[in-house]
Formats: sequence, structure tokens, C-alpha cells
Amino acid sequence: MIERYLHALSLADPGNEDPAATRERLREQFPKGATRRMTQLGLLVGASLNELQPRAEDAIVYATAYGESRTLEAYLDSFPSASPTLFQTSIHPSAVQQAMITRQSAVGEFFPLTGRGQLVATALQTAVLANAPRVLVCGGEERGTWLLENGIASARAFAFALALSAEKTGALARLTLTQGAGAAGELSLPDFFDALVARRALEQSVGCGLRLTLTWT
Amino acid sequence: MSPAAAVCLEAAGCLTALGDAAATHAALLRGECALRPVPVLGTDGGEDVPLALAGGRGLDETAPPSWLPLLHTLAKTIPADAWGSPGRPVFVTSSNFGVGSLHAFRRTGDRAHLAYGTPSLCVEWLAGELGWGTNVTTLSHACVSAHLGLLLASRTLQAGLADRALVFSFDFISPFVAGGFHALKILNAGFPAPYADRPTGSIGLGDGAGFAVLSRERGDFAISAQSLHNEMHHFTANRADGAGFAACLAPVRAAASGRKLWLKGHGTGTLEAGRLESAALASAFPVAPLVSWKGSLGHTLGSCGLVELALATAAVRAGRAPGTVGGAAPSFTPEVALEPFSTAAYDGVVCASNAFGGAHAAFLLTHD
Repeated sequence: MIERYLHALSLADPGNEDPAATRERLREQFPKGATRRMTQLGLLVGASLNELQPRAEDAIVYATAYGESRTLEAYLDSFPSASPTLFQTSIHPSAVQQAMITRQSAVGEFFPLTGRGQLVATALQTAVLANAPRVLVCGGEERGTWLLENGIASARAFAFALALSAEKTGALARLTLTQGAGAAGELSLPDFFDALVARRALEQSVGCGLRLTLTWT
Repeated sequence: MSPAAAVCLEAAGCLTALGDAAATHAALLRGECALRPVPVLGTDGGEDVPLALAGGRGLDETAPPSWLPLLHTLAKTIPADAWGSPGRPVFVTSSNFGVGSLHAFRRTGDRAHLAYGTPSLCVEWLAGELGWGTNVTTLSHACVSAHLGLLLASRTLQAGLADRALVFSFDFISPFVAGGFHALKILNAGFPAPYADRPTGSIGLGDGAGFAVLSRERGDFAISAQSLHNEMHHFTANRADGAGFAACLAPVRAAASGRKLWLKGHGTGTLEAGRLESAALASAFPVAPLVSWKGSLGHTLGSCGLVELALATAAVRAGRAPGTVGGAAPSFTPEVALEPFSTAAYDGVVCASNAFGGAHAAFLLTHD
């Protein structure tokens, strides 16, 4: 069993908010002019990360199933004159990179992951295996448009960031991962997010042979 | 970050436009270039750019993807095991997955392409094709993706969560990615000349896939140190002082003390990154010969770390490392090796890759 403690938590649940409204609402949380080219997911993940004040010695683990859906849509629609800005912003780790580049904050380890039912399991396993004293686990989705109509984008926008360490004192929650749960089980990113919002305890198989417990103090 | 403890490399393999690892290594030794001028948007035309497509396939995506038979062929060379079961995790890495299928869908309206269009769908489909279970971790960090898979697989072994781990990476070029790099103007009509000090930089893109089987005890190679660093300075540029390169190399340099090394750099053919990278490598590992193979194979993107690992092991086994195919004098540093050389005098290889966002990754491959 590997045990970690949750020390900070930031949540963003904008529902069906339009990306332009998200940009306006969060504008003050980023350096002047920085939000102009940020995506909705970049803004949401970035605001969540900002609350946790990333440090150079942190590791960052980022989980998203669909990533930059809106940018991907716009990039595909830009053909045959492909947009260079949309191309570079469409890459999977973009949301965290947008946020950290606005902060000009270098970080050693950054693990961007993707998946569906096993995504939470693999992200948390990545986090507990990191050597860094503090690991920031963040994730989220943005609501797609034509990709959503075709069933390959998220239907909701949300984001979260949480800080994990081995330090027990002052923790908000205790998290354990135990091997030997068998191959079955899954926990999707939206379901994990909802549990964080409700501060709901978790005790279940999450896939990859792992059993997760999350106990709030 | 501090270097991780060593893990053993039990097997490694790859495919490129020049064939499997042995065929690719042999072709590189002969100085062959796999890159060919291809219209950047496939059947939609556009400027001819240097691309290296594997197995005679076309640039336009098909449904199912035309690269599936190539992956089946590669997968047959992976040591058999219950991959994807508890204790036998698979780490899949890519920067593209099946994103070319989204371009094909948008272009044609054929919904058959959607089944491969997201990373999750693509990996789940591929896992079914290759007979893997569900213990699959999927990582995507642009062109350092494969390095992340190697590091995470190593940690899983070191933590006792697995006895053996498979890292598998694939990236196949499509109009989606060729169009993007062309829009950034670094993919153009010019052919890449890695580390050459010339007026204009250019890259080529290539199909590539690779695998590595890691274990705690078996294998005649070891991955003795691994390092990551993310500058988070600019999406497509590095810090001008090269600090990001140096930060990533420092732990590997410490772990390599006393070893005789050669260097497999990132070396895509861009000028500023090539200049910074070669200077940082020359500073960290003085006199060690430096090569890049992307002037022949093209940049195999998120899979380059695994493709080039397999080629480095092939070079060591054969006793000869290919030179920097496509490179030309004058090079940024005198250590750039333009011709093949014997590996007999060396007992380690540093393999480095870079990516968007100022991401850096490096590992030390050692052998007795």
C-alpha cells in the first residue's frame, strides 16, 4: 500500500459557461494580456494550479481524456491553411503549459496522461511514484462543439488541482493505493471530480489492479 | 531531479521508414536517407516537404489506419507475456495517436474515422488488436512522450508494482501533423541537416514506432539514469541561455561519471535548438561524439525516444554507431560525428529528446 496526504484542493465547475465568459471571469488571475490566447481548459486548469502556487521542486501530473477539444476543432477547421497557433495549442499537455508559461515557472517532472476508466488510477499511481516532495495532480475537460456532437469530446467543463505529499500533519484527506484489486474496476475523471467536490469518501477498485481509498479528515 | 536507480532493458525494437531496428541501423550506416518530398497535405496537395513514410503507405489517413499492419509486425517481436495484466503493465506513449483520423473525418465526413480519433479510443482499439489487458497507462507529452513511459515503467518496477513492464510508442505522420509543422515554417522544402551551422533550419517528419521491455534483473543493457526538465518558458522556443538543456543533463552527467560515452541527441535540424543542445551536450560530456539520425528518419515525434533507444542498442550490439546522416560541416560543435564510428571504446550512451514547452528528457543507457 502506498499512502499520501492531500494538502490543498482547488476546484472549478463552470457548467456550460462559454469560453469567452470564462476568460473574462478569470482574467485577473493571470498576468495582463496572458489570457488572450488561452483556451478554456487552460484557464480552468491554470486557475486551479495557481491556487496551489506551483514550485520548481514540485512534480505535476495532468489528467484529461479529451484535452483541447475546442482548439482541436478550430485547428481542423483551419485547413487547408493550417493555423500554427492552434496547432501548437492543440497538443495534449497544452493546458498546463499555457498556465505555467504565463507564470514562467519551470518544473522538473510533468506527466500528462490520458485515458477513460483507468485514467484516475494511472494518474494517481504516477503521482505516488514521483520522487518530488510535493506532487500537484490536476486535470479537467472543456466542453466540445462538433466533436461533442460526434461523441468524442466532453459534455462538461471542469478542472481541479490537488497537492499530495507524505506529510500527515494538517492534511485535508488521506489517500491510499493498494495493489491486488484485480483488473476490474474503473473511476472516470468526471466521477473523481464529483467526489472531490462533494468531499465524498472513496473506497473502490479503480482499474490497473489498484484499489483507491480517499478519506477526508 | 535525482536519477532513478537502474532498471534492465530486456528487449527493444522499432520500425521506421527504413524497416526494423536491424535494417534501419544498417541503412543509417550506409548513410541512406528515408526522407522523400511529399505534398504536405497528401492528396490535397501543398508544398513538397521531407517525409519518411513507412511500409509504402500514403500520407492520407484511412479507416482502419494504414499503419495497423506495421504495428502488428512490430508487436510480434515483443517478448510474449500477459501484457496489460496486473504485474505486467503497458505504458503507451504517442504525440499523435490517431489524430490523423480526425482530419480525415473532417475532410471526408466518413464516420468510420472517428473510432481512432481520440487517444483513448485509439489506445483501447490498439490494445484489443494486440491482445493486451486493461492495465495500460497512456502518456502524451509531445516529443518527449516515450521518455515519460520509460521513466514511469522504471518506477513501477522499482516500487515492486510490476516484475516486467512494456513501453510501447507509435507516431504516424498525417496531414494533421505535417500541416501543423509546415504552418510553423520549420517543416519546409528544405531537407534537415542536424547540427549544421547553416543559414536556414528545417526538419523532416517520419513514421516511427518502438518498444522496450524493462525488468529488474534481465537484460544486457541498463537504463542507469533518467531525467526530465520543463522550462515552461515559451511554447516553441527554449531559454536563450540553454539553462533548460543543462538542467536536464545534470543528473545524467552525475550518474555517468567515469564512463566513456557517446551521445544520441535530439537534433531535428532546427537551428537555435540544435545550437543550444549541441553546446549543452559538449559542456556536460566533453569530447563525447554526438549524433542525430533525424536527418534520415525524420522526426518520429513522441516515439523518437523509443525508436532511437532501439537503434542505439542495435548500434552497440553491432559495434558501430551511424553518424549524423544529412549533417554537414561546419557543425555547431566539433563533437558532431558526421560519419559512423566504432562503439568498442564506449560503455554508455546518453539519449536526449526535447519537445514543445521547453520540455527536455534524457537517459543513460549502459552496458558492460
